[in-house]
Amino acid sequence: MDETKKQKKVLMIEDDIFLRKLYRDQLTRKDFEFIEATNGEEGINKTINEHPDLILLDLMLPMKNGFDVLKEIKGNKETKNIPVIIISNLGQESDIKEGLNLGADDYFVKTEIRLSEIIDRIVNKLSNN
Amino acid sequence: MQKSVKQEQNIKMSEPISIVAHQLKNPISVLTGYLEVLLSESLGNINGKQREYLNDAIEILSRVQLIISDLLDVSRIEEHQYKLNNVPFDLSKITEEVLNDFSSWTKASNCEISFVSRKLPYVMADRIKIRQVLESLISNAIKYKLSGLGKIKIDFKKSGKNIIFSCKDNGIGIPIKDYSKVFSKFYRSEEAMKIDPSGVGLGLYIDKAIINISKGRLWFQKNKDGGMTFHFSLPIA
Repeated sequence: MDETKKQKKVLMIEDDIFLRKLYRDQLTRKDFEFIEATNGEEGINKTINEHPDLILLDLMLPMKNGFDVLKEIKGNKETKNIPVIIISNLGQESDIKEGLNLGADDYFVKTEIRLSEIIDRIVNKLSNN
Repeated sequence: MQKSVKQEQNIKMSEPISIVAHQLKNPISVLTGYLEVLLSESLGNINGKQREYLNDAIEILSRVQLIISDLLDVSRIEEHQYKLNNVPFDLSKITEEVLNDFSSWTKASNCEISFVSRKLPYVMADRIKIRQVLESLISNAIKYKLSGLGKIKIDFKKSGKNIIFSCKDNGIGIPIKDYSKVFSKFYRSEEAMKIDPSGVGLGLYIDKAIINISKGRLWFQKNKDGGMTFHFSLPIA
């Protein structure tokens, strides 16, 4: 087991239980610690308390939408350097621009990219951190 | 599930079609992801037939995804929320890219496409959306052919302040009685339905809207020697 990878922690903020399960299975198999939040508020709390190495963020979330979550994370000096990858169904150019302008490192439209490609990008991002 | 105000704005809560389409996207992503994991054999080996069925299932889901994208496009068009990112680009070059992407399918469909790349002024439009229109018109020409060799001719010309694209085929054509419905939502000719029962009939409606919003025009004519020619114009940058 690769101990360096084992120490890396990924937080997924996503309200779909099956999508969380899919990413949990894939990332724990690659020896990452996987924590999850089911709404925007919980996502911010876990970001502050758990200080993950990477955040996977949905945009259409209950309680607080993903754009607002991203603003809070990037506006907090304790959490602003945590890389954020948006994985959303919103594929309009304006949504992508807004996400990246707010400080997201990557923006993936769920239905336009293969799961394996996203996992590779996550692994790559964590390896370079 | 409670959604935020901004989120409601994003998904246009006033439009049920938009809400349903958005809500269908997550299950499709999850299903596709599960199938990809099974196909990767990271959970165990699969046999040839299982691989075939899993690949078929992914193909079916991608078709459903296309229908959902079309429904969302229609919803945005009707709400005047269809946004374009206009930039100058070479229409001939992206046509060539589309034809390259279609080359295997063209060959497998027994079609010949004649196309000569031309040096023309750039057009001002949304590159991605115009590529979508090109894919739609050229794929219709390939798909709706008569038995025997399908012949398609792609051409461009400059006309005043516009570039005009043409796609001429020798296919099944469109009955004259249907001419007024060609750009309507969900229009499909009887012959088209026989060839491809899975189509929804939103492609030309969306194509027309994209070209109109781009300050161009989309139209068609019947060829004297059979088949149809679809044209669109776009303003020169």
